[in-house]
Amino acid sequence: MMSVAGSISPLVAGLWLLNIVLDTGGQLAFKAAAGDETAGDGLARWKHMASRPWLWLGVASYVIEFLVWIAFLSLIPLSEGVLLGSINIVAIMVAGRFLFGEKLTRLRVAGILLVTLGVVIVGVGG
Amino acid sequence: MKRFYLIGFLLLMGFDTLAQVSFKYAGNHAIPFAVSLEWVLSVFSQPWVYGAVIGYVGAFFTWMALLKHAPIGPAFAASHLEVVSVMLLSIWLFDEHLNTARVLGAIAIIAGIVCLGMAESREHVPEPAEA
Repeated sequence: MMSVAGSISPLVAGLWLLNIVLDTGGQLAFKAAAGDETAGDGLARWKHMASRPWLWLGVASYVIEFLVWIAFLSLIPLSEGVLLGSINIVAIMVAGRFLFGEKLTRLRVAGILLVTLGVVIVGVGG
Repeated sequence: MKRFYLIGFLLLMGFDTLAQVSFKYAGNHAIPFAVSLEWVLSVFSQPWVYGAVIGYVGAFFTWMALLKHAPIGPAFAASHLEVVSVMLLSIWLFDEHLNTARVLGAIAIIAGIVCLGMAESREHVPEPAEA
């Protein structure tokens, strides 16, 4: 059933990309909500976060991602899907580097390259 | 305390695995995917989607409890190594087969996750006071 070129149709690829955007966007939104220095403490902190869009952007991203992931997995084998989904680890680290100046050590770069290589192998070979 | 971490890591992997398997079942039991309200309703009208919610919530609280005490590197790795358990379970539950690409890809991904876990461990080692 599986063709030589793998099982990645444009729809599957689109859902995969959307999942990356939503997962990374959601994480970054939560980071922005939690990292706000002016938020105060305890209940006041939660009220402050609830009155600004970041927290809700994060929640909305996750709710949509939940559905996108179910759609994605309904179209390809689960063993392939979880491997392809590993790219989210890479996306978040790269985004953290650019947006929050988190440092990428040599070991981290090696990890990022290995995970990316694995995802490429699975994506090309099915 | 070692046993506490080990149980915590296994529990985390277990919840993550439950979530992924439930996601797959939820997708399989829903009507064929389309961007429509009918599809969303068919996803939520069968029990598997709630297995995914339980897996997510369980993983979240296990992660939070672990992070208080457990070393971050192994915790990071454990939170992503469910790819192994999910792959093995998908052979049994969904009659999937592991081809060469998936096995090679999984090996590279796992090696990458281990590197990232080690990187986290190193960064959170208390740094010696600067001279």
